[in-house]
Amino acid sequence: MATWEKSAISVPVRSSRSGERLKFLIGGLLILGAVMYLIISGTLTGASYFISVDELLSKPEYLGQTVRITGAVLGDTITYDTETLTIEFTIANVQEPYDDLALALNHAVNNPNASRIRVRVENQVMPELLQNEAQAILSGALDENGVFHASDLLLKCPSRFIEGGPSQAELSDMGA
Amino acid sequence: MLAEIGIVTLGLAFLAAIYAIIASVYGARIRSERIILTGRNASLITFPLLLLSCTALMAALLTHQYQIAYVWQVSDPSTPTFYRFTALWGSQQGSLLFWCLLMSLFTFFATLINWRRNRPLMPYFIAYCMATLAFFVGLVLFVENPFVRYWLTPDLTANSSVLAYLFIPPNAQAPEALGLAQTARGLNPLLRHFGMIIHPPMLYLGFVGFVIPFAFAMSALASGDLSTNWIKAARRWSLIAWLFLSLGLLLGGRWAYDVLGWGGYWGWDPVENAAFIPWLMGTAFLHSVMIQEKRGMLKVWNMFLVIFTFSAVIFGTFATRSGLVESVHSFAQSGIGIPMFLFWGSITIISVALVLWRWNTGRLSDERGFAGMISRESLFVLNNVVFVALALAIFWGSFGAPILSELVMNTDITLGKSYFNGVTAPLFVALYILMGIAPLSAWGATSARRLGKSMLVPIALTLITLVITFVSGTRDGGALFGYGVVIFAGYVAIYETYRGAVARRKNTGEAFPLAMIAIFGKNRRRYGGFIVHLGITVIGIGVIGSTLFQVETQRTLAAGETLELGGYTLRFDGLDMNQIAEDSRVMDIANLTLLRNGAEIARLRPRHDFFPQATGMNQMNIAGSHSTIENDFYVLLASSANDGSTVTLKVYINPLINLVWWGGIILILGTLISVAPSESVRVKERESVGSRMGAAA
Repeated sequence: MATWEKSAISVPVRSSRSGERLKFLIGGLLILGAVMYLIISGTLTGASYFISVDELLSKPEYLGQTVRITGAVLGDTITYDTETLTIEFTIANVQEPYDDLALALNHAVNNPNASRIRVRVENQVMPELLQNEAQAILSGALDENGVFHASDLLLKCPSRFIEGGPSQAELSDMGA
Repeated sequence: MLAEIGIVTLGLAFLAAIYAIIASVYGARIRSERIILTGRNASLITFPLLLLSCTALMAALLTHQYQIAYVWQVSDPSTPTFYRFTALWGSQQGSLLFWCLLMSLFTFFATLINWRRNRPLMPYFIAYCMATLAFFVGLVLFVENPFVRYWLTPDLTANSSVLAYLFIPPNAQAPEALGLAQTARGLNPLLRHFGMIIHPPMLYLGFVGFVIPFAFAMSALASGDLSTNWIKAARRWSLIAWLFLSLGLLLGGRWAYDVLGWGGYWGWDPVENAAFIPWLMGTAFLHSVMIQEKRGMLKVWNMFLVIFTFSAVIFGTFATRSGLVESVHSFAQSGIGIPMFLFWGSITIISVALVLWRWNTGRLSDERGFAGMISRESLFVLNNVVFVALALAIFWGSFGAPILSELVMNTDITLGKSYFNGVTAPLFVALYILMGIAPLSAWGATSARRLGKSMLVPIALTLITLVITFVSGTRDGGALFGYGVVIFAGYVAIYETYRGAVARRKNTGEAFPLAMIAIFGKNRRRYGGFIVHLGITVIGIGVIGSTLFQVETQRTLAAGETLELGGYTLRFDGLDMNQIAEDSRVMDIANLTLLRNGAEIARLRPRHDFFPQATGMNQMNIAGSHSTIENDFYVLLASSANDGSTVTLKVYINPLINLVWWGGIILILGTLISVAPSESVRVKERESVGSRMGAAA
């Protein structure tokens, strides 16, 4: 182990001198303060509300403000301009709370009374998961024309991942 | 038959783990060697039992046993054999079982290796490892069992789903094998990538590996042997766990870069963060452990670090698997959330309580105080503070703020990339500065003048490099500052290694290369550590370059047309449509030629894959890229006309991005050097074995 150590002056020194202690205390508090400042200021500037389509439409103060919203994608509203890589689609409000996300998305898409928003995402390659009944999680802001300009798009397709087994009918069709 | 083997071995492993806990603790309390030994043997047998259980699942995957629900969900008849192996961890149940196997594997070897050397710690060590194992095996057995099978019961109506059962229900019939095979779901296409094949096992190895240092720390507290024994036993295991965790993170980044098609490798996704937090805590621990060994300080702090590293591991597992937060990874929403949360909470509280109890008895007080602000121990503590601050800031951003706002304010607040970039950047800068200065300082008191003097050469080298960077065209002040800080740390690592070899040459008269080899052999941890630092430097350069200077464009091209970006010309030559691959995916492949200054330098083939059999997520974009040390020219096939006459391409130039991967390789090499036993240790061991044998004779 000998070579690991640097040529230390290894006389055990007790830092009982109050001056040393004070230095460490002040240093520690400064670091703590700096870290707290970073986290708090970061939180204040970086935080956005994560809300539903209903909430976004019902409160005018959200207009123009950066928020995160979630909704169910309506498959036949998806358009993709391949020249400009602009994606547009409509999402429907998902009723909360729910136990089964896939079911909730299905209801949202098929409910004609669910509130809806047109979404526009620019400069984006068509994501693989953008399809009917996908859950879209979008960061962006609503403009005066009711279009939500998303800068960030996250998609989830619970249907792919749910634990559902084969149905009886499916099996007898295939097996026959 | 395979399902029965799997279930029975799983059940036996569960019982063995429970027995091992009871026998170890009871045996240690009444000092009965015989009972302790039975506990040890019970803990050892969990590994072969779980190996058998995993083998049964693997065999079921390979032999197409679609009646087993797990096999039905993660494979189908068209799945290639290779992906049948990897399907073992392709979904929740299988990966949990695999996780248990790895945990028992670690415990198995750690127990055998340390049994003699750390005899008083071992009963409690076994108890802690087995408690963790029993929890996870219990989870697999009772909540997420991969061996449940589909059974047709008499009460099924035509349209209802066929249910899976652990035990055969009365009057049940097995469904038709052909029907099951034809309806099977198949592996998620996104997971068919080499990074995804080894990324999960590496990450799991990293995660479960930290159970070993944790269990050693807890065994020290429980047994009352609070010397550095536990640190010595735990040290190498933490390094091994850290190695795998680093590999897991790097491969995950590589996978994201290759497959997710957004030209990046790190998105501050909650699940990425969940794996990064234990890495940060573990890195802090690897450093502060040295202070306890060398100076007998920070005993309580080390205990807390090891507890919170492990706590972060369990929390990360919980967050990943319970669908706690919105994330691309939360594929697994299931009933394991509550038990995992309770396990995490109780293990953290119990451990912290144990430390506080021993602390109160005064047995964890430090042998020395701090000698000065710029002594190596002070700088190491500072490094620890920054690592922990990073871990806390990331935890707050990904879990703390969203969960707290939901609980307290009944609103849901999320923190985006701007939070993470803004908060972590200054902390990373601080870490790199410390990484540069700390190796130059000495244990005990260091004078500022001496420290300053030893910094002269690396600072001069850094300045020269910065001038060259400036002259060659980088004018961005922030970037130059970032490069400077990062490169300084790298030069210190190189310079210290060089000085070590020079000193050796002076002492022994060996030639320089021989002296270099010799110092690595003599002190692997120190010089391996410098190589790790060098790797981190290289990664840092790559991160700065690819983050600050990425350029992108998009264009629709007809055959023969070109686009220009960053001095490159990209020509579209034609589209190969409907190519069918081995695993029956259908591919559209664009043929592109990359030119620079009129000369052809590469042919790129970005593709769009379609998986006709997969339900839901059934397509993906695979980028084509030309990689050099200078940059990656990265092209995605965004779309193509139906007749194949035109394609729309999205193009990124990611400067220096390959340094991220190469730095990763350097980091892994350095860690491997550090993990390997030092010559001196080996000699010592041989001697002690010799003397023991001598004594026996």
